[in-house]
Amino acid sequence: MLEIKNINAGYGYLQVLWDVSFKISKGEFIALVGPNGAGKSTTLKTIAGLIKPKSGDIIFDGKNITGTPANLTNRMGISFVSESLNLFTNMSIYENLLLGAFIIEDKQKQLENIDFVFDLFPRLKARRNQLAGTLSGGERKMLAIARGIMSNPSLLMVDEPSLGLAPRLTLDVFDALEVLRQSGMTILLVEQNVNTTLHITDRGYVLEQGQVILEGPSRELLENDHVKKAFLGI
Amino acid sequence: MKEEKLLKEPFLVVFKRWMMSAGGITITLAVVAAIIATIDSGPFIIVNTVVTGGMWALLSLGLSLVFGVMNIPNFAHGEFFLIGSMTAYFVFNPMRLYLNDNPSAFLSAIAPFLGIFLAFLVGALMGIIMEKLIFSPLRKRSRDQWVMNSFLLTVGISVVIINNIQLIWGANFKGIPSYWNVDPLEFLGVRLSVDRLAALLLSVITLAIFWYFMRRTQTGRAVRAVAQDETGALLVGINLNKILSLTMALSAGLAAMAGASLLFMFPAYPTAGLKPLYVAWYVVILVGLGNVSAAVIGGFIVALLQTLTSYYIGTGWEDVIPTAVIIIMLIFKPSGLFGSVVKGVHEQ
Repeated sequence: MLEIKNINAGYGYLQVLWDVSFKISKGEFIALVGPNGAGKSTTLKTIAGLIKPKSGDIIFDGKNITGTPANLTNRMGISFVSESLNLFTNMSIYENLLLGAFIIEDKQKQLENIDFVFDLFPRLKARRNQLAGTLSGGERKMLAIARGIMSNPSLLMVDEPSLGLAPRLTLDVFDALEVLRQSGMTILLVEQNVNTTLHITDRGYVLEQGQVILEGPSRELLENDHVKKAFLGI
Repeated sequence: MKEEKLLKEPFLVVFKRWMMSAGGITITLAVVAAIIATIDSGPFIIVNTVVTGGMWALLSLGLSLVFGVMNIPNFAHGEFFLIGSMTAYFVFNPMRLYLNDNPSAFLSAIAPFLGIFLAFLVGALMGIIMEKLIFSPLRKRSRDQWVMNSFLLTVGISVVIINNIQLIWGANFKGIPSYWNVDPLEFLGVRLSVDRLAALLLSVITLAIFWYFMRRTQTGRAVRAVAQDETGALLVGINLNKILSLTMALSAGLAAMAGASLLFMFPAYPTAGLKPLYVAWYVVILVGLGNVSAAVIGGFIVALLQTLTSYYIGTGWEDVIPTAVIIIMLIFKPSGLFGSVVKGVHEQ
């Protein structure tokens, strides 16, 4: 479904990603883990179209989408929940969600999607008229993910959903991702919380200093000596 | 779907807090001042205030919108007002002369609207041209120092437009005696010219449509989304270029419409845009930059200040008093009466 081939990307003169390649098939739940500054977020931004890669190819659903701007990748079915969330802080939850379905013209379908995300995150339903800027950290994450799935994406990319969250809220967010996976969505999850992430995902890639250094089924990665030493502290 | 409102505070609490805020105090004071002045000298104060206030609202709303969405402090905004009044003059004047020779009640009734509507279209078109020709290339090249660069550009554009208009159409005043050549209406003891009434109705209707557009349509929401978070807007699939052009078109179109509707008060000549520009800036600085709905209220407040000043103190003081008020206000509320924090491009 998504194939990344030898991507080199970065910001200005600073190159962050060096020949990164990986593959995601339909319906998979993929983890992209690694230490700070490894290039995880940059990878997602490149796929989403916020950054233009210097070289390499991004193939999505058989089409080469390298360098497509972010508003068009969204229309192709790639949804990106960024680390800073990028919510519309002066709008209500409800309006944020409606904008999440910006590319869907059918009003009925928009409302159906809103019902779906309200079922997934009942907390949001209770606060639907509250401004997004006044929500707590956990609610913001939920809203960002909810807005991300409003456009019925085929690939959902989530950047660091656990960052700054209490452990219980983190579990809530992961549970929601699990539900989405079961409904058939392909998910690419970027996390620093390696242990939990590798327990719930199917496969994982380990990124270090802008390069993929390890890959494999998540269960095997958990047993890997390097992962144990570097991330799990065992 | 049923609207369920949880966490709703009792009305009185909200009202009390609002009354204590700077915005609440100002609005209350303004209303009280308007009522006292009306009792003291007659209802024409209110009439004058709402007629010019509606137009200042249209002007400052566009200015505020462009600053909020595109982060451009537009000092060429007055030129859109001028373009509007020029267009209305050149559309309406031939029709007026023609109608003098061939009277037709129906045509005389709708000719002004045609002029005003065309002014809106020409203004909107100029806005799009300005965005595509000047700001879009600048945005692609660099966003460093965006506010400063775009500010300098708009000042330059203003000079270019003023001088071109002078070159092509000369420096003489182009005005009309009135749009509708009929007797003023008697209303609550006030004689209200049809032109003023039409200007008021036009501004109210336009404001209502604009409000509906921004709040209730997906495109309007997209405009607000771009103002609040550009990356977020891109991520939900909003085409940034389209929204930016639309914003500029709306802003310019509304200013042109104000210029056209007030042609009977402010004739068109090359530097006619300067006064409206200053007024629009008074308003947005008074209420807070980038706060669109407050700009509407501010438009009426500034209009009231001007009306009161010109009646009680003298027309010459019309610019002095509002400026003094703003200077005093800025000492206490540096981010404006309804203070909103605008995220600059450089922060995003």
